Order: sequence, then C-alpha cells, then structure tokens
Amino acid sequence: MQAITVGQEWLTVQRRAPVKTALYMIGLLMILFSVSLLPPIAVAWWYDGYQVVMPFAEAMGAMLALGLLCWLPVCRFKADLRNRDGFVVVVMFWFLLSLFGSLPFMLVEHPHMRLVDAVFETVSGLTTTGATILSGLDTLPKAILYYRAQLNFLGGMGIVVLAVALLPMLGIGGMQLYKAETPGPMKDEKLTPRITETAKNLWYIYAGLNVICTLSFWAAGMNFFDALCHSFATLALGGFSTHDASIGYFQSPAIELIAGVFSLVAAVNFALFFLAWRSRSLKAVFRDAEFKFCMGVMGGIIAATCLYLYHSGKFPLWDSIYHGFFQAASIITDNGLTAAGYPADWPFVVPLLLLLGSFFGGCVGSTCGGIKAFRFLLLFKQSWREIQLLIRPSAQITVKVGNRPMADRVMQAVWGFYFLYILSYCFFSLALATTGVDLVTAFGSVAGCLNNMGVGLGTTASNFAPLNDTATWLLTLSMLLGRLEVFPLLLLFVPGFWN
Amino acid sequence: MNDQTDRDEAVLNSFSDQQDSESKKLDEGYDEKESAKPSVTPARMSWKAQHTIQHRAPFKTALYMVGLLMILFSATMLPPIVVAWWYDGYDVVAPFAETLGVTLGFGLLCWLPVCRLKADLRNRDGFVVVVAFWVLLSLLGAIPFMLAEHPHMRLVDAVFETASGLTTTGATILSGLDALPKAILYYRAQLNLLGGMGVVVLAVALLPMLGVGGMQLYKAETPGPMKDEKLTPRITETAKNLWAIYFGLNMACALSFWAAGMSPFDAVCHSFSTLALGGFSTHDDSIGYFNSLSIELISGIFTLIAAVNFALYFMALRTGSLRVIFRDAEFRFFLAVIGGIVALTCACLYFSNTFSLWEALHHGFFQSLSIVTSNGHTTANYSGWPFFIPLLLLLGSFFGGCVGSTCGGIKAIRFLLLYKQSVREIRLLIRPTAQIAVKLGNRPIPDRVMQAVWGFYYLYIFCYCVLSLALVGTGLDLVTAFGSAAAGLNNMGVGLGDTAANFSSISDTATVLLTIAMIVGRLEVFPVLLLLHPDFWK
Repeated sequence: MQAITVGQEWLTVQRRAPVKTALYMIGLLMILFSVSLLPPIAVAWWYDGYQVVMPFAEAMGAMLALGLLCWLPVCRFKADLRNRDGFVVVVMFWFLLSLFGSLPFMLVEHPHMRLVDAVFETVSGLTTTGATILSGLDTLPKAILYYRAQLNFLGGMGIVVLAVALLPMLGIGGMQLYKAETPGPMKDEKLTPRITETAKNLWYIYAGLNVICTLSFWAAGMNFFDALCHSFATLALGGFSTHDASIGYFQSPAIELIAGVFSLVAAVNFALFFLAWRSRSLKAVFRDAEFKFCMGVMGGIIAATCLYLYHSGKFPLWDSIYHGFFQAASIITDNGLTAAGYPADWPFVVPLLLLLGSFFGGCVGSTCGGIKAFRFLLLFKQSWREIQLLIRPSAQITVKVGNRPMADRVMQAVWGFYFLYILSYCFFSLALATTGVDLVTAFGSVAGCLNNMGVGLGTTASNFAPLNDTATWLLTLSMLLGRLEVFPLLLLFVPGFWN
Repeated sequence: MNDQTDRDEAVLNSFSDQQDSESKKLDEGYDEKESAKPSVTPARMSWKAQHTIQHRAPFKTALYMVGLLMILFSATMLPPIVVAWWYDGYDVVAPFAETLGVTLGFGLLCWLPVCRLKADLRNRDGFVVVVAFWVLLSLLGAIPFMLAEHPHMRLVDAVFETASGLTTTGATILSGLDALPKAILYYRAQLNLLGGMGVVVLAVALLPMLGVGGMQLYKAETPGPMKDEKLTPRITETAKNLWAIYFGLNMACALSFWAAGMSPFDAVCHSFSTLALGGFSTHDDSIGYFNSLSIELISGIFTLIAAVNFALYFMALRTGSLRVIFRDAEFRFFLAVIGGIVALTCACLYFSNTFSLWEALHHGFFQSLSIVTSNGHTTANYSGWPFFIPLLLLLGSFFGGCVGSTCGGIKAIRFLLLYKQSVREIRLLIRPTAQIAVKLGNRPIPDRVMQAVWGFYYLYIFCYCVLSLALVGTGLDLVTAFGSAAAGLNNMGVGLGDTAANFSSISDTATVLLTIAMIVGRLEVFPVLLLLHPDFWK
C-alpha cells in the first residue's frame, strides 16, 4: 500500500477512483439529508396538518431514493478523499442539496414556489445567506418556516466543517495556515486533523451554542417555536426569520441585544471555542490575533453606527445604542436579521457603511461570510509593510500574526482570493445591471448574496421578490460562489483540473 | 565622460536598491550630523557626486525644488496672457499677470536663499517634491479662476478645477463653457498639458525609482526585449526625451483635429487634453459639440496612443522600429482588454437600439476608449445611454491604461500581474507541489514587486470605498457617490447621476474630498500616505 502524503496526513493514494468516491460521498450525503426532513414532518404533523406533511414526505422519499441509488452500488468502497475529489464533492454537495432541498418549497401549496425561486430560497438557507423571496411569512405553514430555519442550521454545520477542516486541507485562499495547526498560542496540540473527528467536536459546540441561544430567546419573551428558529438562524449567521419584520417584529431591546451578542459569538473561530473548551480557559480565545483584530474592527463600526444614528436624530440615545449594536453586528457578521425598518427607513450612510462592513465578515472558522478578518489582517499588515519599506527600502520586515511569521505562500493565496472576490463582485453587479436592475439594487443585492449576508438595498431592501429570473439565478450562483470561497467553483472550469 | 555618467547614474540608482549594502551604509551615514562624511566612500564615486551628497538637508532641498517649480509655473502663465491679449482684452490679461507675479514672487522667495545648494534628490525628497508639485500648484494655479470676472470661482471650486486639470482628471465645475473667455479655456487645456508632462515623468522616471506600487520593475530596466540598454536613468534626461515625444504627439494630434474641421484654437486645446488623457473641453458638449465622425475617430486613436507606455515610444524611436511596442506583454494585455470592452460597448449600443450600426461603432469606440483610459471626453449624450454601459465603463476606468502613460486607475500591468497570480493560485490548488513563477514576457517577477502591487491594489480599493462612504455622508445618493468617487480617484472625470454633466451640484465638503481623491489617485496613493507617516519625517 503506497502512502503518498502530499502534506496531508490522511492521504492514501492507492486506487484513484474519482467517480466511485464521488458517488459514495454524494449518496451518503443525500441519505443523511433526507433524514433531516423528519423534523419538518413532525412540525407539520403538529401544527399544519396532512396537506403539509405529504409534500415533505414526498421530498424525503425522492432524496432517499436518489441517495440509495448512488450509494448502494459503491457502499463497500473505502477510498479516502483526494484533493480534487474534495473539491468536486464540496461543490456537488451544495448543488445537489440546493436542487433537492427546494422540493418542499415547490410542492407545498403555500408557498408553492417556482423552480427558480425555490432554488434561490434553498440556496439562501444552505449558504446561510438569509435572503428571502417569500413575503407574508407570518401566514405560511409552520413546517415551512421551520424548514427554512433548519436549512440555516444545516448550512451552518456544513460551513463550520468546511471552514475549519476542509478548506484548510484543500489550501483555499490562504487557509492552509490552519491546516493541522492550532490557532493561538498552543502550538503543541493538533486540532485533531481528521475531518470526521473535527466535525464531531465542532458540531457539539455548535449544538451547545444553539441550545443556549434558544433558551435565551425564550427567556426574553419569544414563544418556543420562534426561539428555536431564530436561534438556528442566528448561530448559523443565516438570517431567516419567521416574521416579515424579522427581529423587529418583537420590538424588544432584550431580544435585539441577545441576537447581537450571539451573532458576535457565532462570528468567532469555532476552533478557538474548541481549544477554550479543551483547556478550560477563555484565554485561548482572547489571545488570538485574528479575534482581537476582528473585535476591534467590529467594535469600531458598531460605535460609528450608534453614534451616527444618535447624531442624525433617527433614534433617541438608548434606542440608537441597541438598534445600532444589533444591526451592525447582524450585518457585518453576515447574519442578516433586521429590525426597526432597516435598511429602507435608516439614514442612507448607515446601510452603506454596514454593506461595506459585510465584506469583512468575521473570523475564519465561523459561519460568517465575506472576505473574513484574517485575510484583512494580512492585507492590512502587508500594506503597512509596503509603506515602511518605501521609507527604509533595506529594512527586513516580515508580516507576522501573533508573533508567527506568515509564509509567502499564504500571503499570495490571500491576495489571489481578494482579487478574485472583488472581481466577482464587479462581474455580478455588472451582470445584474444588464438584466435591468438599477445600480443601487444591483450593488446591494450582489453584496447581500456574495457575502452571504442576505439584506439588499433599493428594491430588494425587504425581500428579493421584485427581481427578474435571470437576476435571481445570478444571485443564486453568487451565493454559492461566496460560500465556497470562490476557488472551488472556478477550479471546476479549469481544463487542467479534469486531467 | 560616459563612465562618469554611468557612475553617477549608479550612485543615484543605488538609493532605492534594497540589495545594495553600500547604499544602506550611506543611508546610515546621512542620518548623522549634516557635515559628517559618509562612513563608506566608494572609490567609483566621482568627486562631484561624493561631495554633493555629503550635505543632507531635506528642508533646504525641498525649498530649492519647490521654489524652482513655482518659478517655472509662473512662466507658464505667459501663453494664457498672450491668448487673453489676442482674444479677450485687458480684463482677462490682468488676472493671469497677477498670478504670474504672485507665483514668481513665492518662487523666488523659496529659491533664492538656497539657490547655491547643490544636493541631489534622495528618495524622501522625491516624495516631498512630487506631492508638493500637485498640491501647491493646485492652490496657486487656482488664482486665475478666482480673479477673472468670468468665471470668478470661489476658492473651493477653483482649487477643484485646477487640481482636475493638473491631475489630468478633467472633471469640471464650470458650465456655459462656450461663453467663457478664451484665455480661461486655454488655461484649462494648458493645465492638462502640464499635468500630462508631470505625469509622464512621474510615471516613467520617478515612481519606479521610488519603488511605488510595484513599479520598481521598471527601474533602470527596459520594458520589452532590449535588456542591454538602460533607459537613461537620470530623471532630467529621461524627462527631456519623454517631453519631446509628448510634444511631438501633441502637434500631430492638433494638426489632425484641425484637418478634421476644428478651429485652430479648439484643435490645440483638445489636443492638449486628449494626449494628457485629461478631458477638459472648450465646449459643454465636449467632443459631441462637433458632431463629427472623423473628430471622434481621431480623438479615439490619440487617446489609445496616449494610453501606451511612453518609454516604449522612446525605445521605438531609438531602434527605429515599432516591434518594441508590439512585443511588450503589458501592451498586448492592454489591447486585449480594451478591445474586449470596446466590442462589448458597441454591441450593447447596437443591440439596445440606441444607435444604428455605424453610429454604435464609432460612438462606442470613442466613448469606451475615452472613459476606460481615464480621458473623459464625452459625446452623443453619454449620460443618456442605457445604464449598463456607463457602469461597465466606470468599472473599466479602474483599469486605466499602461504604466508610463498619462492614464489613471490601477493600470494594466498591475492587473496583468494580479491576473497571472490568480491563475497561478488556481493551478497550485490542482497541483500543490508544482513550481510556477509569475512571468512577464519570459522574465520572472520578483516577489517584492508582486507584494508591492498587491499592497497598492488593496489600498486603492480601500480608498475608493472610504471615499464613496464619505461622499454619501455628505448627502450624495449612492449612484452619484460611486460615480464621482470613481471619476476622481481614477482621474477619469465623468461622473454618474447628479455629476454626469458637471460637478457643480455637489456640496463643498464633497468637492474638497474629490479634490483630495484626484491627487491621491494621481500620485498612486503611497506618496500621500508616506507623508502622513510619522517615521517619514525622522
């Protein structure tokens, strides 16, 4: 048995069988996803009645069948994922689940969406964007509302594994830094590099945070159903709500503060939480360079938002503070829950500031979207280094994060990612403008979707229904592109990849 | 004599060469007392070079250069005085004469006390001079606008207009251009000309030596295949050669415009603003005023010419062959991208039924070239075109043209390097152990250059976002803010929304912000940031 390690411990290359591996993984995922339809069926049975249970059951049946069809022929196959298979699986995962997960939306009488809208809604849920085409949420069947929140939940789980385990191993966008390395000061312990092991640990943390958040919302006055759904949406930084007015429906400072706090919590690197848990101390979290930078930037933007809201007379002092805190935290971390008429009723500078902030996202290894704090930290340090080198050209300055020098390879990957991300944003904005969307809406919608944030501007300020179908497809694609961090999707289009 | 020149050249070159340990020692030596000798005196330095570098006196050097600049600038007031005397009368001569006096006075005040100082430019002095050129001259050059009865602008607007001219942006606050005195119109065009001259030297000689934004790539290296010849690295020598080419092109352009039907005055003014890729016109409708196919085509062609690296033209003249230009990797990339955008624009114009086929072709060709190369001339009611096209061209204006030309924006070579880097990333993801270097025309690019390019790109985008946000903060709507910020930072000159026609409707704060943006964009961000860094002044 030849074991060729290309920098990764678990790579064993004996028989390269991409199709079989892909079928195995995809089949398994489909089966698991079909199982995840059971809770909505329970909710439908409890709240809505037989008419809603049937479509979910049909969707579950279809997924289970397809999953078995893929998996049974290869179920005895035991090959590990190679790099390229990893890319294919990741992309296929998102695409297939987006298609099949849209079945309930199409089959159920309310909302009985068309294919393009249903796929948009499903992708929005799974990529934890939170952009919705639906309106009149308060009258929809509870099962549908729960299903949307659950899409957020599943998406969050998938992202946590993607961001902390898979993307670093594939070396996307500079994240190879985290490959089998602990973030923070504990250099000796490895973060259990095997994907399944890492995944389990992270899911425990994720589920635990969800429980705490649900209880907090419940204690603050939400009914249990709302508390659960909003907790799913908040910790996944998704943003699907059970009400049209989102968090604004409750008109409660306590709920907004809780949502804001948990948004910030969800925007921290989950690997740090794992380390804190293992070492029984929060110091691992607070010492992390990226965490400090992230909190610094977010704190600055939150403060600016609150100040501007108060100064412009939009809200009185206390309202400015908690509305500003919640909304800024929600948008920057790409959550997307809104309150108090955001963005349509707010002075325009604030939605624009927060829209630019949504590119920031949060820490890597969290459920946020955007370019992420770590990359901005490196970009900023690199630019600072440039300026210092212009003053003293012969100085020897290396870019360091928390006293650890950054390899050039990582820097280059980060730069490449940044360039392609901006290019994608420009391309999608232009494409949307071509379909007839006005500039403000185009810029806002693309930012909302590429950053997986979920709140648009202009005509898409409240929901994404007014857009034409081409624009909707484009935005669906941009949501996937943003969630997968650009490169995996691009790779599939490179001829060299398929050799 | 040649050896002497080479040695002096080498000394000057070594200032920004980070691998040269000698220069490092000299550097250290300079930070000691002014009259101390350098700790290492390389034998190959001439007596003259040796003794002129001994005295490090940053303030005096700055004063010397700034004084000289102002004296030269005052001399440029003479042509407008002549034009005023010929066309407009004494009322218009007076403001220019007064400006001449003031500028000459300031210049002498600065220069005379230090006129015997013979210090060569060090890196830091270079930065100070570059920033001073654009900031000071924008202030002083605003005086005629303020003093002349028409247009009798306020300080804020006058400085905006002057900065717009000197940075070759071409954004104007004035309206009713057809009614203004000819001297004012000529003065604006001349600002474009001077700005273009300054930009050419800045881009081809100064910024590479200072190593800004990856341009050290061009330091004492020839772009293209001729590796043996140096591009006469001394700044004055390079400047003279480039200015000769620049003036030659201006003459060719003016004659072409005249032959196509413009009056001599219009021909000269539009030639100045076309080759500087500025965009100031003598008419409100810009090139659209003439309603002439041939004028648009000529303008488009010369815009394209002006967006090519002037160093390539120099090489072409020296070797007597155009092959140098066509073999340049950046030039080819630039043509490809521009060609794509032109084709896309023409196609959109035709298929959206805005224009008939022939009109779509020539309007599309001219307008897309004008905006993308950051020229800024417009035609055929550009602000009324289907919205997709101004947005496409606005994004294209970030591209600009080749380095070493008078264009604005991020410039083609940086995009070429960014693109190659991204392609390399993708290929490395497929084969992580492959050894792939980024090459430009078979020459591998050092990491240092790549890092500088990335740093520039990041800061540029960051500046654009901050600027747009600030403009929205002054009360502009989003479309106008994005468009104006792009027009200012990219030195392009054509806005969107409220600023599509001219920039008169924006508030004073917004005007000041845009003025700063124009200078920051022209200076390629870093020099301005450097001057704000406390370490710079130590």
